[in-house]
Amino acid sequence: MAAIAVPTSNKRRRGGHGRLQLWHVFWIIVAVLYFVVPLYSLLQFSFEGSVNHHSAGFHWFLTVFDDPQFRSSFWLSVQIALETVLVSNLLLVPTAFWIHLKLPKLRPVMDFVSILPFVVPPIVLIVGLVPFLQPFTFIYSRPEVLPLIYVVFALPFLYRSLDAGLRAIDLKTLSEASANLGSSTLGTLVRVVLPNLRQSIISGSLLTVAIGMGEFTISSLLSFNTFPVYIFNIGQSQAYEAAALSVISLLLIWGIMIGLFLLGRGGRTSIALGATR
Amino acid sequence: MASVELQGLHKEFGNVVALDDLDLDVAAGEFVSLLGPSGCGKTTALRCVAGFEFPDSGEVLVDGKDVLGLPANKRNMGMVFQAYSLFPNMTAQQNVEFSMKIRRRPRSERSKRALELLELVGLSRQAERYPRQLSGGQQQRVALARALALEPAVLLLDEPLSALDAKVRVQLREEVRRIQLELGITTLYVTHDQEEALSVSDRVAVLSEGRIEQIGTPAEVYTHPKTSFVASFVGTVNRAEVTVLSASGKTVRWGPAVLKLETEAFAYHDGDAVTLYLRPEDVTLGLGRNGTIPSGGLFNGRVTSITFLGPVTRVSVRTEVGPVVADLSSAEALELSIDSEVSVDVAPGALRALAS
Ligand SMILES: Nc1ncnc2c1ncn2[C@@H]1O[C@H](COP(=O)(O)OP(=O)(O)O)[C@@H](O)[C@H]1O
Ligand SMILES: [Mg+2]
Repeated sequence: MAAIAVPTSNKRRRGGHGRLQLWHVFWIIVAVLYFVVPLYSLLQFSFEGSVNHHSAGFHWFLTVFDDPQFRSSFWLSVQIALETVLVSNLLLVPTAFWIHLKLPKLRPVMDFVSILPFVVPPIVLIVGLVPFLQPFTFIYSRPEVLPLIYVVFALPFLYRSLDAGLRAIDLKTLSEASANLGSSTLGTLVRVVLPNLRQSIISGSLLTVAIGMGEFTISSLLSFNTFPVYIFNIGQSQAYEAAALSVISLLLIWGIMIGLFLLGRGGRTSIALGATR
Repeated sequence: MASVELQGLHKEFGNVVALDDLDLDVAAGEFVSLLGPSGCGKTTALRCVAGFEFPDSGEVLVDGKDVLGLPANKRNMGMVFQAYSLFPNMTAQQNVEFSMKIRRRPRSERSKRALELLELVGLSRQAERYPRQLSGGQQQRVALARALALEPAVLLLDEPLSALDAKVRVQLREEVRRIQLELGITTLYVTHDQEEALSVSDRVAVLSEGRIEQIGTPAEVYTHPKTSFVASFVGTVNRAEVTVLSASGKTVRWGPAVLKLETEAFAYHDGDAVTLYLRPEDVTLGLGRNGTIPSGGLFNGRVTSITFLGPVTRVSVRTEVGPVVADLSSAEALELSIDSEVSVDVAPGALRALAS
């Protein structure tokens, strides 16, 4: 009896497994369609309507590139993103280093603080920030105020990334070894900690770039013509251009992702190369 | 080369007394081990010398000069840590060059010296390797080379071998000693492993609860323990509570046996309770011939366990005065089995008595 029962149950299990795989495929297809259809439509749309023109499908892209507004808003956003990266790294790298090394008891506090920007919606942040920043008119009316605000949005990403990087090394022992070998604390930060945090800094910074390039609510509320605001304004009146712009910004974000991937891998490859020499 | 003196070092963490007025003199070029159980303050003492911890009171003198005012990076001490401490982003050679780079030594001098040091620790062929590509033992060798790069006044080692395999540990401790002798560098070596301390040191300082119980050459500490803590922590020991029979005759009564002690100082009175200490290797066991009851020992007993340890075999015997442990040559021990009836005897001069 047992001899009969075993194959049957085996068969049933195999059948069940097969059905499960079918469902897997089904859901994967659904998910892919969910993402791909709008993308495809976007792409299709951005190439459409150019048949009447001579630029073989790239008409709207060329129109967009020719728009001086496009260039100025794009460069403004790039500039803001880079400033955000600079400010947040200058602020957070030494902070994370110091907290891990000297104030480990504050780590849970920092963990909590670093997720606050997720909890507090941007609109609340801006309502709080405006009265605070308004007296500082010299900065408040200039786009340079944006990096100072975006640092808050970058906090969870950059701090968490640095935190993970610092947890991965034995910071106390490495710092003591470095001091024992004659290095000052600053020297230790520069010579020992930064090189070992390279990966964390890069990935945190790239996410920060994405935030700086993509933030809409606040720059719109403060009436700065950043790239996302420009896309939004175009979308109000010029649908084809807006589609082309969206494609451009998608490519940009993908570029950032690939950069992140390559830089991350670059670090490992150079170590491996060092080994074979 | 420099001498090191710790004077009345006292350090408390909250209500834990880590160092309890610790005094220690290390002569220039000497290799001194701080030996003690976990938590006795060895690391804290070493960290006070290195400048990572500051004592509540007391002084640390190097060549007679107080160094407590100097930060760790100005003390010129080479330290090898218990945890792996090589900089992961640098090769072995770059690690060794680190301190010389900070002192802005010329590149050619740096790399020449680094390669010499790697040669000294037997790793000249691994100079280009990153720490992750080195075994634990190799990493600690590089750490040693790195600590020696600036010719420090003092070499400090905090259980550098505790994470390594037994065999590598033995090999490496001998190498540490060879290098120390070759360079003549004053060395403070922290360990909880008594065999390690005894085998490499000029002198061993046995620590307990933040103070030094005894300091002396390995042989002194082993054969003439001054306190019961030292007697039991360093090596294995049999203890027995006995009473003084005659203070003038230096005799004590241990169960049915009367034993004469051959110590010079015997500051006890008749009838005092003292504790007798006896190393297992100083105990001999006798077997009766052809099944007869053995005789000639202090008392008889039955074998309860036999543990083969390689060259020696450890035999536990239950006697009327309690359990006694004997280390016999493994050849001798072959004649014994569990429950064998044996006579227990003691090598003359092997007994130590300490106040209970
Ligand atoms: N930074 C510290 N904070 C609190 N207690 C400590 C600290 N460092 C050491 N101690 C305590 O001091 C005592 C001695 O520690 P340590 O010097 O590390 O001992 P050992 O190295 O001999 O094992 C221990 O009880 C330990 O718990
Ligand atoms: Mg320790």
